[in-house]
Amino acid sequence: MNPFVYLGVCLVFAILGISLLYKVQRLKELGDKVTALNFSLEEMDEQAKLIMRTDMELNKAQEELDKKISGLDTLQKLSREISTTLEEKQIFKKINNQYVEELGFEKSLAFLWKTLEREFHLYLCLGYSQDESLKIKAAINANKDYFLDLIKTGSTASSEFIPEGALSKNKINQLFLVRSFIICPVLAQEGDQGFIFVGTQNVETSITKGDQEFISILANQIGQTLDNARLFEKTWRSQQELEIKVEERTRQLTVALEEVKKISRRKSDFISSVSHEIRTPLTSIKGYAAILLANKLGTLPDEIRSRLEKINRHSDELVHMVNDLLDISRIESGKVEIRKEALSLRTIADKVADLFSEQLKTKNIDFSSNIPDDCQEILADRSQIERVFINLVGNALKFTPQNGKIDINANRANKIIQIDVKDTGFGIPQDAQESIFEEFFRVDNTINQEVKGTGLGLTLVKHIIEAHQGRIWVKSKVGEGSTFSFTLNTTK
Amino acid sequence: MNVSLGFSQLKDPILATNEAIGQAIIGLKNAPATLAFIFTSIEFAHPLVLRVANNLLGEIPILGCSSLGIMTNQGVFKHGFAILLLSLSQQTFFNVAAVKDINKKTPLLSGKELGDKLLFGFKNVPRSLSIILSDKLITEGTPLINGLQESLGNSFPLIGASPSDNFGNHKTYQYLNQEMLSESCSGILFGGKFNFGFGIKHGWKPLGKMRCVTSSSGNVIKEINGLAAVKLYEDYFAKNTPDLAKELRRISIYYPLGIYLPGEKEYLLRNIISIKDDGSLVTQGDIPQNSKIRLMISTQDSRLAAVVAACEEAKRSLKAQKIKFLLVFDSAARFSILRKQNDIELCVIKELFGENTPLIGIYTNGEQAPLKSINYLGRTYFHNQSINILAIGEQ
Repeated sequence: MNPFVYLGVCLVFAILGISLLYKVQRLKELGDKVTALNFSLEEMDEQAKLIMRTDMELNKAQEELDKKISGLDTLQKLSREISTTLEEKQIFKKINNQYVEELGFEKSLAFLWKTLEREFHLYLCLGYSQDESLKIKAAINANKDYFLDLIKTGSTASSEFIPEGALSKNKINQLFLVRSFIICPVLAQEGDQGFIFVGTQNVETSITKGDQEFISILANQIGQTLDNARLFEKTWRSQQELEIKVEERTRQLTVALEEVKKISRRKSDFISSVSHEIRTPLTSIKGYAAILLANKLGTLPDEIRSRLEKINRHSDELVHMVNDLLDISRIESGKVEIRKEALSLRTIADKVADLFSEQLKTKNIDFSSNIPDDCQEILADRSQIERVFINLVGNALKFTPQNGKIDINANRANKIIQIDVKDTGFGIPQDAQESIFEEFFRVDNTINQEVKGTGLGLTLVKHIIEAHQGRIWVKSKVGEGSTFSFTLNTTK
Repeated sequence: MNVSLGFSQLKDPILATNEAIGQAIIGLKNAPATLAFIFTSIEFAHPLVLRVANNLLGEIPILGCSSLGIMTNQGVFKHGFAILLLSLSQQTFFNVAAVKDINKKTPLLSGKELGDKLLFGFKNVPRSLSIILSDKLITEGTPLINGLQESLGNSFPLIGASPSDNFGNHKTYQYLNQEMLSESCSGILFGGKFNFGFGIKHGWKPLGKMRCVTSSSGNVIKEINGLAAVKLYEDYFAKNTPDLAKELRRISIYYPLGIYLPGEKEYLLRNIISIKDDGSLVTQGDIPQNSKIRLMISTQDSRLAAVVAACEEAKRSLKAQKIKFLLVFDSAARFSILRKQNDIELCVIKELFGENTPLIGIYTNGEQAPLKSINYLGRTYFHNQSINILAIGEQ
């Protein structure tokens, strides 16, 4: 073989060998790269698995969180609605489809155990037809022991957790026509207790602890509201009974008052007619006594004269008393017409001071009247109001010892003027103060024992003031004096 | 086209029907009503309600269903009766129909039967769109669509929804005229002068390694990467099968499976309905064998961004036409995730389409709409966890 050819062949082989070696090297490198890529791919696949798992957990957590937020929001709304309800049946009416759906269910029932009838009564039915609810009610009463046991033990049953008992999860599912459920007892302190059921046919729903907690809270809220409603009803009934009693008592009192008024009218009529009957012979007695005292029938011996003077004085007192009685009777029966006019309070006070000037002087009693300008004008019947002043100042004068003091003060509040007649007399004991305006009442003291009186003066004063739409009262302390206060309207 | 809305929350179903229909009729301002969409909450699903509605509306065609919630311009409501009353021009054609007792037939045949019924009277009339409302309990949504497409055409636009109940897995009801149906699928076919645009989005993003469905049959995934399908969820959530089964609903809603669709901006989502004893996963909607799948995750922002994207897509596809009304099919899963903030998506829609654009919607357990990418030739697919906005417009 030609050496050149041989060399050429060798060269070709060498080039091919080198090329092959290079290719093998490249293939090895590519193989390494593929292996590395596969490895990376596997690694990425593992990472993808991690991402999927994490994403699933996140989605679950998000779902649970959303559910809780929605549940809490719904519970808050429901609680607000329920807690303001005070009627047992209305409580359950507040729970509607929307609330139940927001809690993640579409069916709901509530039953209360009626002890007397010994059966469960249906109070709430959502998501069932009438036929279905009747069938469920019958089935519940057929298995009442199971549900009563739940109430007794306060246990919650759900498709995730069933307390031991006669009914299995599947049986409850069949009974309520659902796939998932929660049954929670409604426990009230008093009265009928029961349970609330919520359920769904949604295959995707699985009951969580959170769901159970929400329904428990709802059941508790219903229980508390039932208690409130029952307490309210009880209180309301008591109040109704009380109102009936008050009404009955008021009616009796009204009848009694009418009777009293009737008797009082009869008394006034009697006093009036008797007074009239007495006044006529009294006038004769007084007339004859006067004739005798005037010596018109001959001079009288001193003893007879002194007896006649006594007859005359006592007759005057009797006339005075009869007049007072007649006035009281007239005012009480409304026969006296009060003719109101604008009067000057200061003028009246001065007139009274003038009337009693001699006695004041004799007893050295300091009399003063303090009537501000805005209390000048009163609206009253002149003659009647003068009697009031005369009576009150006369009494003060009677019971105030030597060197004492009598004041007439006035003050104004809006259109009312209050007049105070204050003395430094003996005062009136506390227990007598309430009776002082009663007819014929006289305070038991030395003055009253010595000085005669009818016991009608203050009664008359009270009647006159009341006929003027005013008020009269007394404040007194034994040994310090008394203040008689009364009110009258002003013109301005 | 004149459109009017009525809604009532009165507790008495008959009074609510009267009130809502009264509002809608007044809102139509003497224009003759020709078609009504009625959506109600589950407690209003009663034959009497439909009879009353039918009497009040003068026996015009009615299409509707019950739902766990209702969306209108006024808000999102768990209870109520809503009506969208339409006065369509004579150039707009439509036909309503239903297929009953789907569970006694195969979903494929049921779909075909509904398609045939809808096509009745549509000879020589250009067809535009079909809207269907199927029972939630029909888990095999994909064959139902396939059957309909066999009849209406593979690329024919089909928008639909499986209305949801209140998560109780009870019946859902479909309304057709004065009939209240169950285990059925009702629908409407529009043709003639009829313009629409739609947008469907979910907002879930893929996370983790892509895997392959190595064995599946219809809506049952047997194996993923050669292992029992449930292993995927067991691994990701570090839970054994019984624990997983307990939380399946939540996990499935938050972390559905996503099928990778080349050319599409979003993965096609699949909810897991149940786990079989052999570790297979039963999904809502089919997952073809060899599908590339991933686990999906979302945030509130991504979900809201999806609502914005769906609205914009619907607007875009209607171009400059005036939007007359919106039909919203929003996943019940989204409703469940949003919880108390469930009107946030409605706010976004109203902001994008204007406060006064009439809007009516329901919450669904599966949405049907075509995929937008050219790769899929306009075929309708079964979606999960999506918001599907259908905008009807007029030039």
